[in-house]
Amino acid sequence: MALVNQTAVEVNNLLHLSLIQAEVTNHQYVPALAVALPEVRLVGDSLMHITYELRPVAAWDDGRPILGSDVAFTVKLMFCPGLPNEVVRNQYHFIKAVITDPATPRRFTIVCWGQAPEYVKATGDFYILPAATLDPAGRLSRFTLAELQHRAPTAPADTALQALARQYQQGYAGHSPGQLPGCGPYELVSWEKDRFLYLRRKSHWWADQLHPTPLMLRAKPQQLEYVIIPDVATAILALRRGELDVFPQMPAREFERLRTAPATRAALQFYTTDSYNVVTAGFNTSHPALADAATRRALSRCFDAGRLMKATQLGAGQRTVGFISPSDTANYNRALSLIPFDPIQAAALLRQSGWRRAAAPTAGWFRPGPGGTRQQLRLTMRYRAGDPLLTTIALQFQAATAPLDIPVSLLPTEAGSFSEALRVGDFDMYAQVLKGNPFMFNFTSFLHSQGIGVSNFTRFSTPASNRLIEAIATASSNASRQRLLRQFQALMQQEMPIVPLFFLPSRTVADKRLSGLNVGSLKPGYLATTIVRTARATPAP
Amino acid sequence: MAVLTAFRFTWWQRLALGWLVLLVLVAAAAPLLPLPYPPGLPDLANMAVPPFSAARHWLGTDPQGRDVLSILVYGARTAVLLTLPAALLAALVGGLAGAAAGFWENSARVPLTYWLVGTGGTWWVLQLPLPTLGLGLMLIGALLAWLARLQNRPLPTWPLPVDALVVGTATALDTIPRLIVVVAVVASIGLSAPGLLAVMVLTAWPPMARLVRAQMLRVRQLPFIEAARAAGLPERQIWFRHALPHALHPLRTALPLSVAGLLGLESTLSFLGIGLPPEIASWGRLLATVRDEPSAWWALLFPSLLLTLSILSLNTLSRMSTSRA
Repeated sequence: MALVNQTAVEVNNLLHLSLIQAEVTNHQYVPALAVALPEVRLVGDSLMHITYELRPVAAWDDGRPILGSDVAFTVKLMFCPGLPNEVVRNQYHFIKAVITDPATPRRFTIVCWGQAPEYVKATGDFYILPAATLDPAGRLSRFTLAELQHRAPTAPADTALQALARQYQQGYAGHSPGQLPGCGPYELVSWEKDRFLYLRRKSHWWADQLHPTPLMLRAKPQQLEYVIIPDVATAILALRRGELDVFPQMPAREFERLRTAPATRAALQFYTTDSYNVVTAGFNTSHPALADAATRRALSRCFDAGRLMKATQLGAGQRTVGFISPSDTANYNRALSLIPFDPIQAAALLRQSGWRRAAAPTAGWFRPGPGGTRQQLRLTMRYRAGDPLLTTIALQFQAATAPLDIPVSLLPTEAGSFSEALRVGDFDMYAQVLKGNPFMFNFTSFLHSQGIGVSNFTRFSTPASNRLIEAIATASSNASRQRLLRQFQALMQQEMPIVPLFFLPSRTVADKRLSGLNVGSLKPGYLATTIVRTARATPAP
Repeated sequence: MAVLTAFRFTWWQRLALGWLVLLVLVAAAAPLLPLPYPPGLPDLANMAVPPFSAARHWLGTDPQGRDVLSILVYGARTAVLLTLPAALLAALVGGLAGAAAGFWENSARVPLTYWLVGTGGTWWVLQLPLPTLGLGLMLIGALLAWLARLQNRPLPTWPLPVDALVVGTATALDTIPRLIVVVAVVASIGLSAPGLLAVMVLTAWPPMARLVRAQMLRVRQLPFIEAARAAGLPERQIWFRHALPHALHPLRTALPLSVAGLLGLESTLSFLGIGLPPEIASWGRLLATVRDEPSAWWALLFPSLLLTLSILSLNTLSRMSTSRA
């Protein structure tokens, strides 16, 4: 329901399945649990019926078939109170109902408010959960989807829903693999926080009955072990010793070193692709000093994105004007200019926004605030501790603002505390890598007023940006969405709640004994389920 | 008063002292030295370059492009300005606490006014609920003291088990390894130089207190203390002017060792990434950058060398022999 981090997506993709799934290699949605891509029917001018049919062989681990009722249950669970579902609530509020038919239990229709092409992908791209296992008493069936969606936050707690939420939460908290079963090809055997996850292929994986087995439903490895090694040097050592098969998202310098060293070049295979991960810096727009766009625009001129990309990615990666990747030529706004590194212009922009540099050296910048107060431009920047890329960005920003007399305190923060600090707004600025994909253009969670306090860390929202985000999510055609997305990029460059610096490349290194490794731009950058390890050649006697 | 003693140096000790003096001079003069780069400035065109291979980066750069020479010089400043005051403060706190514990043991009695002022002050400093209550207690204490002085009447006293308090607190702090205490406290209160200084003092005073307490237990039995008592000198005066200077003797050996320990601790914390803020140069943090760039031997060698030399020098000085002047 709520993923702690993006890495968790990879493991969830092995445990669970959605109706349709994006293929790593060609970036097209293909059927997963569904037999085919859905049928779409526009009803009137405000409703959309998206009809799916589930694969006849698709079944839960206990042999029960996966049915439309499971999909209806999953959608209801997204709106069940007491669960960490704030983000998915915002994403899926357009679903009006899920219509199932007892006569054809594998066929169902998702009714959507609005007629956006975006909904076709969105309605198929969430994990389906087993109703019979998670809610054997049928507590959720007593509520309609509309009742759950429109339930007031102040409504008295329902004991049945509370019990369901508690049971679901315990499944996660207890680390008990059996409590939250999925319909994916693997089952979680054991995991230990910050150490490892061990997954085993199900002995009766239903997709084995499909001939040929679609790429996304293949499950070649009998077991998959994810080892968490926070230290890059240690991880590379493990890779060189042959203790690791795949090392995704390898830092640039290590990648180049291994690629050019004769010993490792012979033993390893190297892949580089574009990614949809963009390096960003965000402002806390709820702080009075950062509430106006002009100040944010001024500070954005203190990031030397070009040289940062060259220094940290050895020139690979792509500069960008916004959150849309330059690779997405249809939606990327080429009319906009890249944000220049120009501290002199930054000082001029600060003066335009009312800031005045104090006469005394190193005294900083001040401007009158509301009610006769005096605002000072003094910043704290948070970033995840131990990340060399983010550390370099923070140090560069601090060094660029120092001659301007803008004091910047750096706060490297442990990963868990970092997310919480961003959520509660305990920062002035932050540096972070945003992980995206080329399919979804719903910015509600991190730039709409609905996401404030949940995942809109900058707390940015204006009526115009809210309207634009909603219009993008409900655009009726690709052409209109492209137009709106370009408008959105221009608006974000004007408002600058987040400074997009550059898109990272994805670098994957694998043992040469592996075959069938499909690499692509989508996170995590490769497909683990198609990997085959060939036996080491034995020397001839 | 304590008998003056003179130091007799061996060659090794002279070398050690010379090195430490040089370190302190470099630390003091760091802002005046003609360093080509400030310590926190990332040179994005020269990331992790080896010594003498890039323009004016004579000892190379770290993986963030910061000049290694500047980090070493300013790291020395950090080491001196943080560990030396921490060791001196720890010696002061430990020395006074140990001396008081050894001299009075559990027989001291403290006037009510001191109790009130002490309790109120602690209440207010710790910002317990209703901090003004602490201020109120202090005020009442001061008022009572003033009234007692006006009427020339002695105030009631309560017993204060100094020895049990000092030994108990020191033992409690010693039961947990120092690094664990510091990591836990620093991780919870955040990163700041004054906070780190306070934590270092908190963990470094118990050994000092133990040494001084043991010495005081011996000193207080000596005839000149008995003579001072017989002469009618007040206890506080005997403690402070006559017994304390003798009881502090062991600190002369313990202080360099304490500085060495704290130097290692600061570097360890910075290596772990939980010490000082990232913009403050530190040898330990420079060492830690090797994890990002394992081939950057210069980021490992130079700070290790400085740390080893400094700690060895402090250990050498702690073994100084003395001769009576």
